[in-house]
Amino acid sequence: MGAASICMALAIVGQSYLVVTVIQKLFLNNAAFPSILPAVFILIGMLLLRTIFQYMIKGSGIKMAQIAKVSIRKKLLQHFNGQQMTDADKGQSGQKTSLFMDTVDEIDGYFSQYLPQLIQSAGIVLIVWIVIFIQNWTSGLIILISAPFIPIFMMIIGVKTKDKSKEQLSQLAAFSGTFLDTLQGLPTVKLFGQSDGQRNKINQDSTSFRDATMGVLKVAFTNSLSLEFISMLSIGLIALEIAIRMIIFQNLSFFSGFFVLLLAPELFSQLKQLGSAFHSGRASMGAASRVEDVLKEETKPVSWGTVPLKSDKAPEIILEQASFHYEQGRFRLEPASMTISPYEQVAIIGKTGAGKSTLLGLLAGFLPAEDGKFLIDGIPQEKVQKADWFQRISYLTQQPYVFSGTVRENILLGSLEKQSDQEIREVADRAGIWDWISDLPFGLDTIIGEGGRGLSGGEKQRIAIARTLLKKPQILFFDEPTTGLDIQTEHILQRSLDSLKNQATMVTVAHRLHTVRNADKIFLLDQGKIAGEGTHNELYKNNKMYQQMINTQQGGREA
Amino acid sequence: MKDISLVLKMMLKEKKDILFSVFFGFLAGITAVSLFAASGYLISQAAFAPPIYTLMILVASVKLLGITSAISRYGERYFSHRGTFTILKNIRLKVYDQIEPLASRLLQKYRSGDILARIVGDVESLQHFFLRVFYPPIVLAAVFIATIFFTMYISAGVALTMSAGMIVVLIVFPAIFYMIQKKAALSMREKRGVLSSEFTDYLYGFRELTIFQQAERKEQQLFDEMNQYEEMKASENRQLAIREAIVIFFSFFIAIIILVQAGFYVAEGNLAGTLLAMLFMIAITVFEDTPSMAVLPAHLEESKSSSKRLIEVWENEEPSKVAVQELEPDLPLHFDFKDVFIQYPNEKKPAVQHASLQIKPGKNIAIVGPSGSGKSTLMQALLTFAPVKSGHILVNGEDINTIAPDSLWEQMNVSLQHNHFFYGSIYENLRFANRNASAEICRDALEKVQLTHFSLEDQVLEKGTNLSGGEKQRLALARLFLREASIWLLDEPTSSLDSITEQQIMNEIEKVTKYQTVVTIRHRLTGLESMDRIIVMNQGEIVEQGTYTELMGKENGYFKAMKELESQQLAF
Ligand SMILES: Nc1ncnc2c1ncn2[C@@H]1O[C@H](COP(=O)(O)OP(=O)(O)OP(=O)(O)O)[C@@H](O)[C@H]1O
Ligand SMILES: Nc1ncnc2c1ncn2[C@@H]1O[C@H](COP(=O)(O)OP(=O)(O)OP(=O)(O)O)[C@@H](O)[C@H]1O
Ligand SMILES: [Mg+2]
Ligand SMILES: [Mg+2]
Repeated sequence: MGAASICMALAIVGQSYLVVTVIQKLFLNNAAFPSILPAVFILIGMLLLRTIFQYMIKGSGIKMAQIAKVSIRKKLLQHFNGQQMTDADKGQSGQKTSLFMDTVDEIDGYFSQYLPQLIQSAGIVLIVWIVIFIQNWTSGLIILISAPFIPIFMMIIGVKTKDKSKEQLSQLAAFSGTFLDTLQGLPTVKLFGQSDGQRNKINQDSTSFRDATMGVLKVAFTNSLSLEFISMLSIGLIALEIAIRMIIFQNLSFFSGFFVLLLAPELFSQLKQLGSAFHSGRASMGAASRVEDVLKEETKPVSWGTVPLKSDKAPEIILEQASFHYEQGRFRLEPASMTISPYEQVAIIGKTGAGKSTLLGLLAGFLPAEDGKFLIDGIPQEKVQKADWFQRISYLTQQPYVFSGTVRENILLGSLEKQSDQEIREVADRAGIWDWISDLPFGLDTIIGEGGRGLSGGEKQRIAIARTLLKKPQILFFDEPTTGLDIQTEHILQRSLDSLKNQATMVTVAHRLHTVRNADKIFLLDQGKIAGEGTHNELYKNNKMYQQMINTQQGGREA
Repeated sequence: MKDISLVLKMMLKEKKDILFSVFFGFLAGITAVSLFAASGYLISQAAFAPPIYTLMILVASVKLLGITSAISRYGERYFSHRGTFTILKNIRLKVYDQIEPLASRLLQKYRSGDILARIVGDVESLQHFFLRVFYPPIVLAAVFIATIFFTMYISAGVALTMSAGMIVVLIVFPAIFYMIQKKAALSMREKRGVLSSEFTDYLYGFRELTIFQQAERKEQQLFDEMNQYEEMKASENRQLAIREAIVIFFSFFIAIIILVQAGFYVAEGNLAGTLLAMLFMIAITVFEDTPSMAVLPAHLEESKSSSKRLIEVWENEEPSKVAVQELEPDLPLHFDFKDVFIQYPNEKKPAVQHASLQIKPGKNIAIVGPSGSGKSTLMQALLTFAPVKSGHILVNGEDINTIAPDSLWEQMNVSLQHNHFFYGSIYENLRFANRNASAEICRDALEKVQLTHFSLEDQVLEKGTNLSGGEKQRLALARLFLREASIWLLDEPTSSLDSITEQQIMNEIEKVTKYQTVVTIRHRLTGLESMDRIIVMNQGEIVEQGTYTELMGKENGYFKAMKELESQQLAF
């Protein structure tokens, strides 16, 4: 790039030199017309070179920008991927999407404009200045004194650009966040008659974004205006000085005078271009610093080790006085101790908000245990090889997400290995959803999720269950598998889960208590504490809360 | 033209800024040309050592022109950008207004990330329509014509060359570029939409992806998408750079032709030698801004595809019927379904068929039936959200389609099967149901649903991810306690609650709905004895309806069989 910039400078000098030669010959020397033709042909050659070099510089800027944006997006993806589950919930998806798309796009300017222009301008300004200085040292001196004002002004005015551009991008992100959130909740907006309010909010965010954009632009325009003034002033000075030397002192030839007069604007135009490129460079830096802010956010993912699990059997899980609390909120899971032996059927029950889902996340290794111990087959969890553990378990969340894609893709998500349609069919059958799938116009190829066919609550749930069964896990974590299912469907599901009894450990969170009455062990959770443990009969005998729950469930009114 | 009509329409609202931009643009261009012409003339004069005052006049006019040019340039930029970004702001709002009525239907056709990409990225890309496509040619042409007129006084031949050059640059080049412009623009915008929707899908499904260890695979997929998008973009940018280089070369070339031509006239003695430098300077300057014409076709194409992508979202949707009839606010609602069929788009069979039922004021109604039998769909029909294919739904004797939906919703308290919460505090989420609810009343509502462990300032994350399953349902119900409504529609309001809490909260609801209609969808068949009516659905049809005793009295009744199955299961 540097070389291209020098070559471009030489082409510019050559071009001006030839133009002056031609005009000099015709105007002052009264030369015959054909005598200038060779100079004209060389001139055209010079032009060609100039445009080619300029293109080369631009092309490499484009390449650099491409590489930079790809690598920044990759870093962002890696960052998001490494987040602990609860950290990933923070912030709005629209904001993150805006960061990933728009903010990174904004970084383009630094590489595609600022850097190439910097190199181009540096080479051209230097060489053109040397030529001017040789031709007419006084003009050189004027430039030497006035030109530095351009970068100085540029920087003074540009100081705020970075922050303003950051502000602009965060306004855009805010708009994206509000918009996406509203889009997801449109029915709610309408049912509560909040259309006007929400529209106002969108309008406000949109207007703030416009204002922030104008804020950035005003700086840019002021910047160019002042650069324009400076260059105008010094070109005017040079013109005056040349005229005085030519007329009053008569110690400057027309040739040198005109040559300098052609070159000086080239020099200043490079500086002006650098000025606006500098502006977009600063704006890009604002964008980059937004990305950096996000990359800096700390997250404590659950740490894992390298020890593989030995046996082929389902591993035994032991919690010893393990506790957990979320960063925000008042909820604490009090130190809990539990042992889950291979192939045991375990149920976790309790009132809503008691911490059942939290405990399940802890047991599955999605949330980090704070104190106490978490042993998998006797090995501390943080030493266990991550892949080995996750290969053996499967987890059904309380509100499963249906991805935008085919039914097949949604079920296949459950396994890292290749699975045949036969296997998909088998698990779908177990989850009680196969009949429904085969009734669909495109069967497994029907597109569901956003942008696809809608599902009823129970259908969604059953697709998610099929997904969890796909990899034939050794431990199954189920968070309320039968919510949204009717008695009959629940019955079908219950039977197929029973048939897995000897193939997998099952840890189930349930509030429909009849689904867990046959469990080997039931843990009763109350306000973050384990308040009871035992089989159904044991608990029914000894635990008041459990009795009460059973009674109300059977339809009897609460005492 | 049709594609871009959206932008044109919005643009016309900013007439003042457009006029100012064109005016200042012209002024800046023409003064720049004069400036360089004057300096070319100056240097030639200087060669003959003229009286000093001519020189002073020239230098002064150079200064003046310079300042005018710089200030006009500022004005042009300011007004054109202010106009543009106001237009964009209005377009964003217009897009929102268009898609808002489509509500949930929208997300069955488009992915939310895609819509986001449209309203942000595509709208942003429309800025080039005004800034690069619409007004620059006008300004350029005006400056050209003025300059050509001026040149004509000096040399008609040169003016002719200049006109030819102008035609090539302003018309021929853009036309050629436009024709060879591959239809890359649309596919690039589309790719961006895909990238954006894949990314939101990734964020929304992050839990599932981590759980199944698929996050890396998805990451790789996103990375590939992104690489392709950037590759497309870079190659388009290179294309543009080449075109720009061609135009730059051509405009220099024309300047040289003019130099040679004028030189020829000078050599022949048909033109004063002092004008040679001036003509060359004019030519160089007037062609200086033309590279922008090289990128014009690409921007036009891009704006067209962006605009198309925006319009496409609502284009084929039937315009929402102007239902004007307001419901009388205090009259209790009476619903009458007459042989209603509901069929979702692209489906072979209806989700609900032959539905005939009545919902009388003040009654307590339960809808039960297996998963997928059409319970939620039936409720959606009450909310006017469902695609009713045939049959009639009457509200107080009027067809539901003639009633302004707002006045209907105003009288309803609805809890959907999946409720949405907005990113913000608990208080904000509660006040969503009633703008005038005081903190006191909100706390009261929280108490009714046993959420007293939350303060009003506590934050609710997007989609309520930091709430437990049951807490989400309870918060949704808390919202309803803040509103007065004559009919409550509850789609499995307590499916994620334990039986004790469920009972307590249902009691609270009963207390405030003594005289209201309540329609509840439920799976559990316990506690139905007190219902005024039970509607039993199966496979889209209402198979039975009646009171508990009526249904239990039926030999081989569907409800009875279900109830027996349940009692078997519940027996301990
Ligand atoms: N990401 C989070 N950040 C902060 N607090 C949380 C988060 N997730 C859950 N909580 C809080 O932790 C408590 C326990 O939640 P958890 O989901 O474990 O309850 P649960 O027993 O599963 O309840 P339910 O039966 O209603 O699903 C709740 O009070 C909830 O508000
Ligand atoms: N947007 C949609 N597009 C196409 N089909 C749909 C859509 N929404 C629902 N369906 C189908 O319509 C039928 C009825 O769905 P609905 O949601 O009314 O069932 P439901 O009785 O509420 O079931 P659940 O108890 O599982 O919630 C189902 O077969 C479902 O697959
Ligand atoms: Mg839970
Ligand atoms: Mg439903």
